[in-house]
Amino acid sequence: MTPTVDQDRTVTYPPETAVTVACRLVGAGKRFGGIWACRNVDLEIRAGEVHAVMGENGAGKSTLMKMLHGIHLPDEGHVELAGRIVSLTSPRVAEAEGIAMVPQELDLFPDLSVVENLFVGRVRPRTRFGTFDWATMRRQAATAFGRLNATFDIDAPVRSLSGANAQMVEIARALMHDAKVVILDEPTAALTEREAQRLFGIIGELTRRGVAIVYISHRLDEVFQIAERITVLRDGERIHTGRTRDLDMPRLIQMMVGRPLSKLFHRTPHTPGEALLEVQGLGRTGTFEDISFTLRRGEIVGLSGLIGAGRSEVAQAIFGIAPATHGSILIAGRPTLIPNSSSAIARGIIYVPEERRSQGLVLDYPIDWNISFSGLNRISRFGFVSRRREREIAERFRALFAIRSSSLKAPVLSLSGGNQQKVLLAKALVVEPEIILLDEPTRGVDVGAKAEIYRIIDDLAAAGKAVLVVSSEMNELLSMSDRILVMHQGRLTGTFTGPDFSPDAIGAAAAGVLAEQAEDSALHPGSVH
Amino acid sequence: MSQPTTRSTAPAEASPRPRFAFTRTHGLALLLVIELAGLGVLVPGYLEPGSLLDTSRTFIETGILALGMTFVIVSGGIDLSVASLLALVSVVMGLSYQAGLPLPAAMFLGIMTGIAGGLVNGAAVAYLGLHPFVVTLATMAIYRGAAYAISNAAAVSDFPPWFTSIGQSYFAGGLVPAQLPVLVVAALACWLLLDRTTFGRRVYGIGANELATRFSGVPVERVKLAIYGLMGCLVAVAAMIQTARVSTARANASIGLELPVIAMVVLGGTKITGGAGTIPGTVLGVLVLAYLQDGLVSAGVRNDWGLVIVGAFLILGVLANELFRRAPR
Repeated sequence: MTPTVDQDRTVTYPPETAVTVACRLVGAGKRFGGIWACRNVDLEIRAGEVHAVMGENGAGKSTLMKMLHGIHLPDEGHVELAGRIVSLTSPRVAEAEGIAMVPQELDLFPDLSVVENLFVGRVRPRTRFGTFDWATMRRQAATAFGRLNATFDIDAPVRSLSGANAQMVEIARALMHDAKVVILDEPTAALTEREAQRLFGIIGELTRRGVAIVYISHRLDEVFQIAERITVLRDGERIHTGRTRDLDMPRLIQMMVGRPLSKLFHRTPHTPGEALLEVQGLGRTGTFEDISFTLRRGEIVGLSGLIGAGRSEVAQAIFGIAPATHGSILIAGRPTLIPNSSSAIARGIIYVPEERRSQGLVLDYPIDWNISFSGLNRISRFGFVSRRREREIAERFRALFAIRSSSLKAPVLSLSGGNQQKVLLAKALVVEPEIILLDEPTRGVDVGAKAEIYRIIDDLAAAGKAVLVVSSEMNELLSMSDRILVMHQGRLTGTFTGPDFSPDAIGAAAAGVLAEQAEDSALHPGSVH
Repeated sequence: MSQPTTRSTAPAEASPRPRFAFTRTHGLALLLVIELAGLGVLVPGYLEPGSLLDTSRTFIETGILALGMTFVIVSGGIDLSVASLLALVSVVMGLSYQAGLPLPAAMFLGIMTGIAGGLVNGAAVAYLGLHPFVVTLATMAIYRGAAYAISNAAAVSDFPPWFTSIGQSYFAGGLVPAQLPVLVVAALACWLLLDRTTFGRRVYGIGANELATRFSGVPVERVKLAIYGLMGCLVAVAAMIQTARVSTARANASIGLELPVIAMVVLGGTKITGGAGTIPGTVLGVLVLAYLQDGLVSAGVRNDWGLVIVGAFLILGVLANELFRRAPR
């Protein structure tokens, strides 16, 4: 975290007049133990703007937002509201000062009604008799939703709402405080394209009324669509603040990552070999339809698309977890039925699930136990597990992947996210698979571990394995894939061949626009590389 | 981010500490020693080998059931039907023998009944996806009801001496009850199976994180079926010994036996929600509870208090599991 002299660093506040500053972080920093999560950050949020805060996982975005929302007090610097230094000691204080936050994981009570949720943690209007004044509360709720042009049953339990409508409830909650600043943390992560567009409409409506929006998202295309200004954080420091229209995507990515993309992911030159996995017209009723593609030896194929597009489901169908209902799978040219995961592994296919904690690892159990779990048959004789071979295999992967732990007998829970992810990869590779399906392989890991995981993936391809990578991180797919498949609502909407991908065309395909049309229209300048 | 884990009750190879550490199992062993010492003071002659070994006749069947129950609970399940199935096996064997079948054939039929009863439970849990509590609560009634129905509530008791000697004779100079080696062998086999084999690993995996186990290529359904099948097989073994010991096969045998069985397993350190537990722990749980019950009766406490003790120890066992789980390093 040494301050680097960086050509990217630009501190430009254009001399504009009639700018109303809604709130400001001045030299703000926060330390956890001896480590600064972010340091000396200046951030100015203006009334009526959409201000995107960008950065990789661990760049300090969420710490910064938590300082704005009263969850953390800054260890250095301070927060200013309308020129006045304030001490935001709790979210309640922040909300009273007009700063609201819509968290990524919605904080609602599923069994309470919409109205009840709106008034949780807040002074509720009372009647003369001291009972809750539900009529007033309902009226206020209706007004809030009216401002969002949202109509739904405010007496329904939140459980019955769609993800998008539940988010509306959070936004309505924010508006009821008369918020001047609304922080949206990854608001589109769980939304469909149509719902996201509706959200953007509401954001536009709010900014016209002078509300400032702090927008956090990993989706570069939507940031370019709605943000007026962008601040980039990296390693806890502010790298850049400026107008969106002065930026293009490759430059933004470069600032976020801190180096040109090609340096984060080293792709060994290679020639793809014969087809290992062919998928023809694969479908699973109600989930995905008509998926066809080929995976060759030494190839890395990216699978892109929005959350809910059916990417994981396709990978899991190939792995036999929820088998396809129609279509066929050919392995090395031969049609193969894969009714369950054990037969998938027997045929050289492995799937590394996206949910490391619930699907991937037994967190309470030791590292070596987890690493050997998928490949027990390889280290056992007559059904008896050889502890010697188990230890050898675990030691080998610990050295190979640089898994940092005190002991292989330590529970996986004691490891950092990046090291847990490496254990998960080791566990998958113990079965010596030929076809490797990776689902969000770098989710929730820091940049260092990310680079190491990229190296592992590249090594696999170099060793002649066929690799499919499902990822929501566009720049990750752009830099590692030989080809990128794009899914939208259960169907393939585009196939792109590298190395020169057009992120815009891929984004359009993910949004459901057919690839041929999208490749002609350049929505945003530039393609990576 | 180091957090407390189920270290003390995890599988033996799962202990993250290479050095000696005082675990729950050690605590239980200590408790057994203290308990026996106390009984030795209260009841003169209680600690004589002959007396201690003879008492084992009272818990051989319970112990065998507890071994099977350890697999079931470690995998995140429960089996309430064991006592009912034991009675059904006993009655099937007794009636088919009475109807003229040679006794070995009748015993074989009984064993098959036990395995089938276990597989029915397993199939309902694994393939119909029903909660094991509900399934085995239902079969607890069904198996007991079937035992009453086919026997007309009548007992069969004219078994030949070679059969009853399984449950009533002694060897090694009249010291060791004939059925004790069965429990010892079963315990060793179950320990190897749970602690050392791929099957055992999968049992732990299912109990600790069923979804992750499925994603690891484990045929979860088949493993569950096998677990309940194994339980049924051990029920049948226990039924043989029990029938031989009381020389009688009848439908009201061992009513309520599932309760001490579960209490012993939990007392032995098996987590009631699955994912942790060991066979040595279960054996200690059996010994602690069985000797306490028997010893107190010898000390003059009325037999009726036995059930109170079982219930109390079930709660103590769960509580101890929680305490040991929360204990920081």
